[in-house]
Amino acid sequence: MIKVLFFGPVVERVGKNALEVGYRADMTLQELRDELALHYPHAFEIVCFFAVNGQHVRDLSMTLADDSEVTFMAKFSGG
Amino acid sequence: MKAAVRIQQEDFSQDEEISALKASSRRMGGIATFVGCARDFSEGRDVAEISFDAYGSMAVSEMNRLRIDAIARFGLLDARIVHRICTVTAGDNIVFIAAGAEHRVAALEACRWMIDELKQRVPIWKKETTPQGVAWVVPHP
Repeated sequence: MIKVLFFGPVVERVGKNALEVGYRADMTLQELRDELALHYPHAFEIVCFFAVNGQHVRDLSMTLADDSEVTFMAKFSGG
Repeated sequence: MKAAVRIQQEDFSQDEEISALKASSRRMGGIATFVGCARDFSEGRDVAEISFDAYGSMAVSEMNRLRIDAIARFGLLDARIVHRICTVTAGDNIVFIAAGAEHRVAALEACRWMIDELKQRVPIWKKETTPQGVAWVVPHP
């Protein structure tokens, strides 16, 4: 199972702060992103950062491990 | 002593943070600080309050990495970063950054660099309540 987290403006557009996606061998971050973007297109309009297990990821071809925690994030506005 | 990097609901004491920074080295000759605070006006609108959301564990991890990077990049003796995650109104403190170095230039440059990097790297989001409604803040470049 892949745990997907959302925060801030993305939560409002998805309507929830977390969901789970069934794990598939060789699933990439890009595939997961594309799959979720089909369901939540309005939310993914503002997604521009990605994290896997709490670490920034820029290479969307990264293969996800089972039990990964994946976060799709809008631009940050802290400070 | 409180951790050098924290996110917390409650306000911070600048005096306590600076004392903690100074306690880390007697070689420190320059300390630069930045305090970000809430404004009552933004983008042409009155702002009644600001609230925050954060990916807490990653935010702390990124802030720790940021502190370590700043110490290495500018040769600091120590640095501290505290960010509040709560609801604030005009005048309330939001973020505190301090850089301590042997000399002022490194401290000043590191302090500026840390707040700029924090805005780029740390997963925290700000939401403003205005007479027109509630809106997430779109960051400035």
